[in-house]
Amino acid sequence: MKKMIAVFFFLAAAAVFSSHAGAQAIVIANNSVKSADVSKSDLKDVFTGGASSLKDGSHVTPVLLKSGPVNDEFLSTYIGKSDAAFKASWRSLVFSGQATMPKALETEAAVVEFVAHTPGAIGYISKATPHEGVKVLAVR
Amino acid sequence: MKRFLIALALVSVAASQNPVSGHGQSLEDLNIQIHGYATQGFLYTTQNNILTTSSSDGSPAWSEAVLNITSQPIPKLRVGVQGRYFLLGNFGNSVTLDWAAADYKANEKFGVRFGKVKTPSGLFNEIQDIDPSYQWSLLPQGVYPISSRNSILAHYGGVVYGTLKLGAAGGKLEYRGWGGERVIGSSDGYWVSFVEEGIVFPNGISGATWGGALHWKTPLKGLMLGASDTKDPNWSGALVDTYVVPAGPSAGVTITTKGTLVIPGLNEPSYFGQFEKGRFTFSSEYNRLGGKLDLTGISPVPDRFDIRSWYGMGSYKVTEKFTGGLYVMQEIDHATPLGPARYSKDWAVSGRYDFNQYLYAKAEQHFIDGTAQGYDSALNPHGLKPDTRLTILKVGVSF
Repeated sequence: MKKMIAVFFFLAAAAVFSSHAGAQAIVIANNSVKSADVSKSDLKDVFTGGASSLKDGSHVTPVLLKSGPVNDEFLSTYIGKSDAAFKASWRSLVFSGQATMPKALETEAAVVEFVAHTPGAIGYISKATPHEGVKVLAVR
Repeated sequence: MKRFLIALALVSVAASQNPVSGHGQSLEDLNIQIHGYATQGFLYTTQNNILTTSSSDGSPAWSEAVLNITSQPIPKLRVGVQGRYFLLGNFGNSVTLDWAAADYKANEKFGVRFGKVKTPSGLFNEIQDIDPSYQWSLLPQGVYPISSRNSILAHYGGVVYGTLKLGAAGGKLEYRGWGGERVIGSSDGYWVSFVEEGIVFPNGISGATWGGALHWKTPLKGLMLGASDTKDPNWSGALVDTYVVPAGPSAGVTITTKGTLVIPGLNEPSYFGQFEKGRFTFSSEYNRLGGKLDLTGISPVPDRFDIRSWYGMGSYKVTEKFTGGLYVMQEIDHATPLGPARYSKDWAVSGRYDFNQYLYAKAEQHFIDGTAQGYDSALNPHGLKPDTRLTILKVGVSF
């Protein structure tokens, strides 16, 4: 019984550790973006349609991942919403004529490719994904 | 005027092409998107039939379908159009234009939108018809009556908007200003009581409208305070009054009289706030609408109104997929004699379940006292009871 409890706690700890170990989303931007960092609140504004530029005046266009753990982690950490709630809030802007839904791409490689070739683009990927040709923004 | 504005909005798309280079933009460059949603509701009431449905028998006569097409040919310019099929009891059952507009956002501080545009008054006016975007099946009816959605949601003209940063200690101030023409269509729910009296407005009524709104995102994280005011200086429209002589030697003879309805000087201030913290959201709003109706050409019917409404609502995200909510709403028309027709008080309990990002379901229970809002006499021929219990089930899909 003690062994079972120990195994249970080990697995639970491993699950918690692994979920935090997966929390490696980084924010990337096209090289035309002047900033080297972005505040959490500015990042949230940009990705929820509340702003289209950063503090340095750079015009930015958000690009999303369609789904997946990196997407979920980014939304939960920086936006504070589930994927369903996040998409619902964008749709309310779209249906009221206040915004266009950001482009959503299937893979992290596609996000890197899009951000690298689109002035002002800002997106997110996992730290492990190769990201040559884009700049990484530190989130303050 | 209306056609001109919509044409202007569409022409701005063409103007956004690059004539200098001689290369037309591809569909990919135009960033064309198509979105839509559809909902189906079911209503059941005790006591009275509500919202022109036979709800005391259970009524599925509440359907909506929306199709939205937008294009963003250049980062600062968006153009879009949205159409809607709407049916609620005897309201609607037709396809209407929600909005058709071009939007140019020069920078964070200034943008302009023109065409048929959503009127950004109050807390929810811009999104009050967008069912997927909120918790409730029925928003507080004293402020956002579903019977008059198409009239009070949008106007022909423009909106200017922007956000001013007030520094770390001041938060942000979002402003919106609007002006143009508003039309209350001939089939608007506002006319239900007139139609029952034999008075119709073949072309609806229309007039100028203008106003402004401020949303202050305060330094206290999650707290927004705001106010808006809408001015409608003078609305008017032709009316036709049809009277069938009920008895006597002329029984059955139809008498038709033509006249005019004038609504001079409407003013609608609104004060609101919203607080979001974690899984909890609280919103509240106070709204006042005062004025009078002048009917000419027929027997004068004095009709003044001074409607004061407020609500407080809260919701809590219980799980990632389920959110529960509660609101209380009160509407009192201070120009109406004492009695149940003078007020409407509504306690509503709501649950929303999101199966995924596309599909959701809502269940809502209303405890309504008073009959100021939402009833017609044709479907309540034996008179109105002072209180109603309303159950709503709704399912929706959006993409």
